[in-house]
Amino acid sequence: MSTKSKSIASKTDFNQDERLQKVSKLKILLNRPELGALGGAILVFIFFGIVAGDTGMFSAYGILNFLDVSANLGIIAIAAAMLMIGGEFDLSIGSMIGFAGICIAIPAIYWGWPLWMSIIFAFSMAVLVGYFNGILVVRTGLPSFIVTLAMLFILRGATLALTRLITGRTQVPGLRVLIENDPIAWIFATDTFKWLFTWLGSMNLIALRTDGTPLATGIPPSVIWFIVLAIISTWILMKTRYGNWIFASGGDKNGANNVGVPVGRVKISLFIGTAVAATIFATIQVLDAGSADTMRGTLKELEAIAAAVVGGCLLTGGYGSAIGAAFGAIIFGTVSMGIFYTDVDTDWFKVFLGAMMLVAVIFNNYIRRKVTESK
Amino acid sequence: MSDYLVQFNNISKFFGKVIALKDVTMKLRKGEIMCLLGDNGAGKSTLIKTLAGVHKPDEGEIIIEGKKTIFDSPKDALDMGIATVYQDLALVSLMSVTRNFFMGREPLKGPPFFKTFDIEKANKIAAERMGQIGIDVRDPSQAVGTMSGGERQCLAISRAIYFGAKVLVLDEPTSALGVHQASVVLKYIVKAASQGLAVILITHNVHHAYPVGNSFTVLNRGKSLGTYEKKNITREKLLSMMAGGEELDKLEVELKEMNRLSTN
Amino acid sequence: MKKVYLTIAALLTWAMTSVAALAVDIIVVSHGQANDPFWSVAKNGVDKACKDMKISCKYTAPATFDMVEMAKLIDNAVSQKPKGIVITLPDAAALGKSVKAAISAGIPVISMNSGSDDYMKLGISAHVGQTEFEAGVGGGQKMKAAGGKKALCVNHEVGNVALDRRCAGFKKGFGGSVEILGTSNDPTEIQKAVAAKLGGGYDTILTLGAGLAGEAALKALESAGKVGSVKLGTFDMSPGMLKAAAAGKVEFLIDQQQYLQGYLPISIFAQYMRYGTMPAGVVMTGPGFVTPQNAKSVIKWAAQGYR
Repeated sequence: MSTKSKSIASKTDFNQDERLQKVSKLKILLNRPELGALGGAILVFIFFGIVAGDTGMFSAYGILNFLDVSANLGIIAIAAAMLMIGGEFDLSIGSMIGFAGICIAIPAIYWGWPLWMSIIFAFSMAVLVGYFNGILVVRTGLPSFIVTLAMLFILRGATLALTRLITGRTQVPGLRVLIENDPIAWIFATDTFKWLFTWLGSMNLIALRTDGTPLATGIPPSVIWFIVLAIISTWILMKTRYGNWIFASGGDKNGANNVGVPVGRVKISLFIGTAVAATIFATIQVLDAGSADTMRGTLKELEAIAAAVVGGCLLTGGYGSAIGAAFGAIIFGTVSMGIFYTDVDTDWFKVFLGAMMLVAVIFNNYIRRKVTESK
Repeated sequence: MSDYLVQFNNISKFFGKVIALKDVTMKLRKGEIMCLLGDNGAGKSTLIKTLAGVHKPDEGEIIIEGKKTIFDSPKDALDMGIATVYQDLALVSLMSVTRNFFMGREPLKGPPFFKTFDIEKANKIAAERMGQIGIDVRDPSQAVGTMSGGERQCLAISRAIYFGAKVLVLDEPTSALGVHQASVVLKYIVKAASQGLAVILITHNVHHAYPVGNSFTVLNRGKSLGTYEKKNITREKLLSMMAGGEELDKLEVELKEMNRLSTN
Repeated sequence: MKKVYLTIAALLTWAMTSVAALAVDIIVVSHGQANDPFWSVAKNGVDKACKDMKISCKYTAPATFDMVEMAKLIDNAVSQKPKGIVITLPDAAALGKSVKAAISAGIPVISMNSGSDDYMKLGISAHVGQTEFEAGVGGGQKMKAAGGKKALCVNHEVGNVALDRRCAGFKKGFGGSVEILGTSNDPTEIQKAVAAKLGGGYDTILTLGAGLAGEAALKALESAGKVGSVKLGTFDMSPGMLKAAAAGKVEFLIDQQQYLQGYLPISIFAQYMRYGTMPAGVVMTGPGFVTPQNAKSVIKWAAQGYR
């Protein structure tokens, strides 16, 4: 480095301790936020592999079962993680799921709209709700915890009241028949890689039905969405300018603002992100069940936040990982379904969820201190 | 008059009934290090925030390079080349050196609509600039939190300079540093000035300010007690002005008088 | 840190050894949680039948009334390849896909408690439960035999198809005039609504739920001093109504006998596993009538979780 001779201070001024070696690649890896979640996921699989290995949990049908639950949770967990990195919370995700479901079902069944139009309607409402959450938080400076908590009640109440008003009941069935031939619905309702399962079935590698077709027919749409969203969000966080802005907004919003980061715009877009993710979740669910229900999605925001925390996101913002949240969702999805293969009372799942979160937060705190240790 | 980079003419700022600044005048040339001294509550923060575009002055005018200027937002000031380094440094300790260095001004590469953050280029530049101040960044992705206070201060200053600051406003850069680290930062400031930057150094520590400053402005309760060239003022005089020296002198006289009267 | 790792490893080993799973013969997927007072009786039926039949069973339910969750549990059960699956069918549209997958995988399915209208078209082998219309008919016949001529059918959840059927069946079995009184599900409002009607010459009242509507109607009768002159009957059971029946104040309670809804499917499957026998159609577990004559013994069994 020819610039060394021009430096105003010598290396020894700052780096007094020459015993410090070059930071090894392994150490860098160990400091990554998603390490905990990945480790947890591996542990969970080993555990269930030993305990429930021959119960059918790891048959093709069984794997798709817990993968579907994990993927659905993962969709909202990834969005919640990005928002958390940006320094905010969205407690209204669960209510948005219920609300979006009704936004799809009521127009389609009661007002005669084509299904694709209802779906677009639901997503437009998501953008509005997300924008509203964001603008409130940014303009008033109130903690997002409170603002979105209020939204949780408002949305759920509106969902119940409007549905009862228009339909007289709390469920809206009858959507399954509308999926066929709809130009948009298939994106949220189609199993993929069917050819792979047919082939595996023909080779007798997976379980078959009585008519010879494979029991597991294809990859559920939730899994594809999950993978796509995980890739996109990781790319955004790691490789784009906008991603740097997200970290900055969560890490030090005033400082970031002072150097020109549009913190307000970033946060609003992240709130829109969580609302849209909730709507993706709702659309997949509504089309899968063929009906919408006003109580769908209750408490899901807490699971999403738990998955994000397990994935390495700091509650205070500025640090975390979307991939970590994805692993967190896989952990919870696998355990929530895996527990049914054992003799353990399923109520213990809630205990597990809480305990896992506690462990993750303590671990994350430890990592954060290591990462920001100053000499 | 126009060889002054920055001129503050009769600036006043009120917050409701509170007079934060009254009739403050200050001028700065290229390459000049002006130390802004004053006790707590003297109005230093308000003054630099006005220069940084956070506040708009209620009276008076700001002249940049001979032109009257009004700042609508911090971004305006930044665009005009006035870079302010606040006490919190605007650094996110959890983020890497590179990401902090280029925060808000990330270099991009790639096709339109798919532009990505050019991390390789950013890493290179950041490591280079850090090296110039003597900081060896072993791992470009190491978090700023692992750096010492002095290193972080130099990082913030280096960032400001890299992005084309013409005027560097530093808010208490050495207050939280030990003597050794403070001296490194001060050396860097002198180097920056020698390359043509104008520097306003806010501090309440005269011992740090006196060696590096070319001129000194003392604020007391929102008013300027005057701007002095180094050759026209001593360290002790500055100290006493800051502590409200004239009033203390008066107090001393009064106490002597009281003593004399009581022993009669 | 080392101690922490060791503790975690020890805990995991302990957990693994105590949790190791064995293959299960019959899996029950119900929408009723095991800690619910109604469903705990059904679960007791399941558990007792498994013991009696000497096969292994598992009772599962989603944490809340969530059809999406329940469909997942049925899929989960299918992957475990049991000899049979017992389900409740509160929503055939939402659960249909999973049920059909189970049947196409060669696992026979029996439904219980709900879904008597839909079970056949899904390919379910048999249904065990009480059909609302027939139960209503039974109740109507009983009230007719007791001399009733002008009846009030109190529907506290208008729009609930099952409840509508109860009143319709009652009308058929009763023969005389039946007026349907729609109310909210607020007990005070129900009591007031019934009281308001008491001047209209009604000699029979049927409520469609015991704890909520039945007790409210009873209170109305008691305030008006018409207990005994107006005959009161109700669907389902509650401790309050059971006591009233034992005291002779209530004509009957229609018990759907959910203990049998839990017990019978298991025993049916046990015979199916051995000899391939399977009943065709609906096996009616109700209406079982709890009257002043047998109320005392029912109370005894209810306290033990069998009624």
